Amino acid sequence: MKAGSNAIIQERVKGIETTPSTPAVLMPLLQLLNAPGDEVELDEIVRLASYDNTIAGQCLRAAGSPLFGLAKSPDSVKGAVISLGLRRVQTILLTCCLGRAFPTRKWPIHPTAFWRHSLGCALACRKLSEKLGSRDVEKSYTAGLLHDIGLLVNCLAFPDEFMMAVQKACEEQIPLDEAELETMGFTHCETGRALGEKWKLADDLVEVIAHHHAVERAEAAQPLVAIVHLGDLICRMRGLDYGYYERHKVDLPEDPAWKVLLKEHRELEGLDLVRFTFEMDESIEQIHELVSTVFGAPVGAS
Amino acid sequence: MIISAQTVRTAANPAERIDPVIRQIRDIVYQVSGIYQLEEKLYLLNDGCQRRMKPLNVRTPSEYWNYLHAHSNRDPEIRQLLNEITIGETCLFRSPAQLDALRKVILPEFAAERTKQATKRLRVCSAGCSTGEEPYTLAIVLMEELQSRLKGWDVEINATDLNDRSIEAAKIGTYGGYALRNTTDLHKRKYFSPIVEGKLQVRPEVKKLVRFDRLNLQDDSKMLFMKGMDIIFCCNVLIYFDGASKSRAVNHFFSNLNFGGYLFLGTSESLLNLNDKFHLVHFPGAIAYWKPSLRSEKL
Repeated sequence: MKAGSNAIIQERVKGIETTPSTPAVLMPLLQLLNAPGDEVELDEIVRLASYDNTIAGQCLRAAGSPLFGLAKSPDSVKGAVISLGLRRVQTILLTCCLGRAFPTRKWPIHPTAFWRHSLGCALACRKLSEKLGSRDVEKSYTAGLLHDIGLLVNCLAFPDEFMMAVQKACEEQIPLDEAELETMGFTHCETGRALGEKWKLADDLVEVIAHHHAVERAEAAQPLVAIVHLGDLICRMRGLDYGYYERHKVDLPEDPAWKVLLKEHRELEGLDLVRFTFEMDESIEQIHELVSTVFGAPVGAS
Repeated sequence: MIISAQTVRTAANPAERIDPVIRQIRDIVYQVSGIYQLEEKLYLLNDGCQRRMKPLNVRTPSEYWNYLHAHSNRDPEIRQLLNEITIGETCLFRSPAQLDALRKVILPEFAAERTKQATKRLRVCSAGCSTGEEPYTLAIVLMEELQSRLKGWDVEINATDLNDRSIEAAKIGTYGGYALRNTTDLHKRKYFSPIVEGKLQVRPEVKKLVRFDRLNLQDDSKMLFMKGMDIIFCCNVLIYFDGASKSRAVNHFFSNLNFGGYLFLGTSESLLNLNDKFHLVHFPGAIAYWKPSLRSEKL
């Protein structure tokens, strides 16, 4: 990161405005995500979901997506919790809140592409965690959903600079973080970290946001960061990208993140990567539908 | 090259219910052949199973699953089932993501690696080329590159098929609207000549890049003479081989590729456990099997 960038990032992140219902729903929800699963009360989730009728409706529609395990939408948030469990409904609610948290302005990247990528990454991380026998697959989902939150910060707090970075990435077909670093002197990892800290996200989620492009820099949460790094790559290679072609060859088992995970999970050796890829492909259409349901028609796209 | 029937048949009514056992049959087919039938195309597998169940006198998908699972005749039966869900039809520019990977990632990689070589050579193989759609597509892509990135390169495409009639048709290189449905008007004007109404023929300068030969991929002695390839396309061909033959063919592909070379299969095919020396690599929208370059730590 370029010297002096941090102060500018902190200053601009302080000024980021969210939509009016965000502090009432998103912030308490993020706090609840930090709490151990058995300390979260059903009533608290129902209260948060009911605060905003639009969010409640979206939450029920999203819960009816096959991606979350139900064949049709439940009638109530309580019904959703009974069918899906408290933790999963929490993450669905988070997905819906996040989609409405930011005012829609001119976005250098297409918002639909952004949400498809974020949701796709969340699902890829959850799926990978399931394959690895992880105990908290919803944590992986949340980490995948939030990993690129810094891109939203860039849209809101650095719109002109970020526009140049996106143009460079599209023209040269290079990864977005490389283009950001060359044009802005910092990346969405740093700006996302600043927002994550402002929102008092759990330390492991902040590590994911800050280091998902450089797993070796992660500390306590390195395995979670590695899962998100791989989920992110798979999505970018399978049509859940940022809307432009990245000239990129990915050899996942040779990736440092893969090696980090292998130390913790020997199950990874037996993972059929091609099948995993095909299974991700199957979710793409449902992801597109869910993004339309939750995030609505694309608005504010440039 | 043979493509899955899914590309030419219309989608079934989405409300049509698929017996859950069909998903288990999908798993068996994948384990044996490496072909994965996506959820949205499961109706094709369902139709194929129904057609195969009749001559076997099997009444339910569950009974058919048992047959595929445990019957002594299971391997030939799975090949019969694959025959039901695939057809011998294809088109030019069939897999845009594979061609993008070739143009945007692989060729720049080769060009960068070979800057210092006096003779710059590229050898591409289209194994199981059927009536020539794939090798001519590759020829057109490479002709465009020969005017820019690959200027001065010696480029050769070896196209092979087992079927003499297919090879003869490929050499003539005449295609109708269906085979040309993915070909842009610009490419049609530049690389084809009209012959009769609705038919276009590949121009001689494109044909010059391609050499057609009859080759049985299971013929070990002939496969040994296919050395020095940079890229091999073998799309939807291995599905018709039994496990041992497939494994032999894939091992030949590996040894025939230069270090740093690539093998592309059909878009829903995988090598599964046939060869652990290849690295599976992802490009946007496409996967390939890479023979690591010499400097790779794995070798």
